Formats: sequence, structure tokens, C-alpha cells
Amino acid sequence: MDIEILHGPGSAAARVQLESGECLTAEGGAMISMSGDMDITTTTMKKGKGGILKAMKRMLAGESFLINHFTPGSRGGEVLLATSLPGDMMVYELDNENLIVQGGSYVACEESIDIDMSWQGFKSVLADNSVFWLSLKGRGKCVVNAFGAIYPVEVDGEYIVDTGHIVAFNETLDFKLTKAGGSWATAIFGGEGLVCRFQGKGTVWCQSHNASSFGSTLGPKLKTR
Amino acid sequence: MITEVIGKPAFAYINVDLEPGESVIAESDAMSSMSTELEMAASFNGGFFSGLAKKFFGGESLFVNTFTNTASSPQRVTLVQATPGDVVEIDLDNDSICLQPGAYICSTPGLKLGVRWAGFASFIGREGLFKLEVSGTGRLWYGAYGGLLEKEIDGEYIIDTSHLVSYEPQLTLKTQLAGGLFSSFFSGEGLVTRVEGKGKVVIQTRSMSGLSSWANGKI
Repeated sequence: MDIEILHGPGSAAARVQLESGECLTAEGGAMISMSGDMDITTTTMKKGKGGILKAMKRMLAGESFLINHFTPGSRGGEVLLATSLPGDMMVYELDNENLIVQGGSYVACEESIDIDMSWQGFKSVLADNSVFWLSLKGRGKCVVNAFGAIYPVEVDGEYIVDTGHIVAFNETLDFKLTKAGGSWATAIFGGEGLVCRFQGKGTVWCQSHNASSFGSTLGPKLKTR
Repeated sequence: MITEVIGKPAFAYINVDLEPGESVIAESDAMSSMSTELEMAASFNGGFFSGLAKKFFGGESLFVNTFTNTASSPQRVTLVQATPGDVVEIDLDNDSICLQPGAYICSTPGLKLGVRWAGFASFIGREGLFKLEVSGTGRLWYGAYGGLLEKEIDGEYIIDTSHLVSYEPQLTLKTQLAGGLFSSFFSGEGLVTRVEGKGKVVIQTRSMSGLSSWANGKI
């Protein structure tokens, strides 16, 4: 499987080249174009695994209830994937490890990767942006998207990232939701609210912009239906 | 202090590397990530009453955050505005600049934010009754939705009301119809701002009100 990011970083799309016999799993609604003989199967979870419960959990994580599986014809084929907000995308290759992906950032992965709602999810129910996490486990490539640019932060020790700016992070990192700054007054009045404090050694990928901040800037200007 | 604006022009954001003892002030919710060694403290945007004035009249938040490096090595904070778009970095040397409400992102401690009476013309032009003025000596970052264009004005220049981001304080602003009565209402331009004097303005290539009125048409 060959994945290439086109038109990054402004309006990125991922072109996935599939060989015959390979299968790509993608978030519902992410496909923008594909080869004519591509076969799509829609399931609630990974083929033959999981079921309604896992799908409900994923829906809680801000992902669509259904995911699509793309299988090419005998000569192989391609699928182009994109999301609704402008921004960059990133391909990450998992080598028998876990990557924790922020709910809305997941785009696609190889079928060999197992998707589950991360245990981290329950820890973050309190987060104001209702952040949920998907855990990608196994071996293969995955694609994530961001609102804006993606910049990696190599953490060795501790680092703070605002909840609305996390795209993904290595599972080697532990994180705690804490108040921003030294006091609750700073956290609340300073507008940062809760932030994630990462601990350990690993990489966290951040998005330059916060989709919910943009939403709350645009929202009041929209008329009610 | 080493600073860098990255991701221009579509998704600009600011990396600020603070030396020990240095600090940077940013609008509320501007921080996207930061070193744990930095101390962050919220305070009123220039005092309680001045903060209130800025919130209600200048369209800025009541509180600002100050990030201070209390460690012994350089530490990074990454700051960004709420909308996608470009960011401008300028150095003020005992000087001042007027900003559109919401344009301010962050600045070094030598700069002061204040509100000044802008006149009724500015209110009609949807810019608010008061204008936000940043003055002093230091570095300022501000931004807006869309790309940013600089324009030197000598004489008169006309800018669509929702596209003006910043202007030098010696310039005067007047709101007027874009053309005659008929063309003003039917050309889609409506009200424009006439800028008079000698100085620099910054214009944004897109506007949030343009985006929202387009989106409102689809609802």
C-alpha cells in the first residue's frame, strides 16, 4: 500500500494506491474519488470483528458510526481521501505499537490495524472540547488529518498541549488533564481551561489551529435555522 | 527571545523561544502548546476597568495570559489565533498602531494595549465605537482570517469595512457609501471605509463576515 499526501499543507488529500488483495479502512465520508472497480463494504467495525458496541464507542469518539473498507479489483486501484476542514494530513507507519489519535483526526488505516476507543477516552470525558481518543494498534500505515499545520513535539520529560490542538501521540507517553497555569483562576479566566500535560518519552503531533475556537468565532455570526 | 512565524499565509502560527526571565503576553486561548517549565498567569487586560473597556468596546478578551520563563534554559510556547489566516510581526519603537477588534494575538511586555474613542463613523463601519491601540516599545503579533496585504497610503484610499486589519494612528477613518445610492446597495459593496492621511494599513484578503454571510445563505 502506497500513500501519498497531495496539496498539503493547505488542503491536503491522501492518495492511497492499493494492490490487488489489499484492503483500506477509512472513516465514513472521507472518500473523494476512487477507481471504477473499487469495491466498498460498509461495516460498523473492522471486518468480522467487534460490532455495535465498538461502533457506539467510536461514535462517542466523534467518528462516524460506520467505516468503509475499500478493496480494489484484480489490477489494483486508488482511493483519494479528504476531510471537511482545511488543513494538513500525515501518514504514520505503525510497527507493532500503539498510536493514540484524537477522535476527529482519524482518516484511514490499513486493514491490519485494529481500531478501538482508547482507555484514555474515559479520562478525557471531563475535557471541555469533549476530546476522545482512538487507539490504533498493530502494524501498517495510517492517515490522520489536522485543522491547519501539523508540528511534532518530541517530549522527553514533560510538555503541555492545549486539548484542542492534539492530533496524535505515541502510547509511550502518559498524559494528565490538568489546569493550565498555576491556579484555577488562571485556567478559567485565561481562557485555556484544561490542558494535557504529557509525561514520558515520545512524540505528540499538534495541529496549529483549534477547530472549536474557529467554530466559536464563526458560530455567533450564523443565523439560527 | 527567538521568534518565528510558521505556516504563512494560510495557517500561520507563532513559535516563541523565551530566554530565562523573559515573558510574552498573549490573548486568552492563544496557547496551543508550551513547555511545562513556563509559568502561565492570567491577568486583566491592562487593569480591571481598562480590561472591561477592551472587552466591551475593543472586542478583545477581558483577560490575557502572561508566559514567563522561570527555568534556566530557553523554553518554547506556541501561540495561534482562532481563525486560519496570516500573521504579521512588527517591532514598535515608542510608537503605536491601531488594530481591528480581535486582531491582537500576542506581544512583548513593553507594549500596552489601550482603547481609544474612535468616533461614530467607526461604529457605523462595524468597527466599534472604540479602537484598540497598541503602544510602547516591543514586538507585536496580530493576524486575521485570510491573507494580509500591506498598503502605503498617501492621500486617500478606500477599503471595504470588514477588510481593514490595522492602521497607523495618524490616519483618519471615515465611513461612507461605496458609490452612489444605487450602486452602493446593488454592487454588494455597501459601506466602505475611507482612509485619509499618510501611513500604512494592513488589509485582509478574506473576512469572517464574508464567510458567515455566505454560510448563512446555505442554512
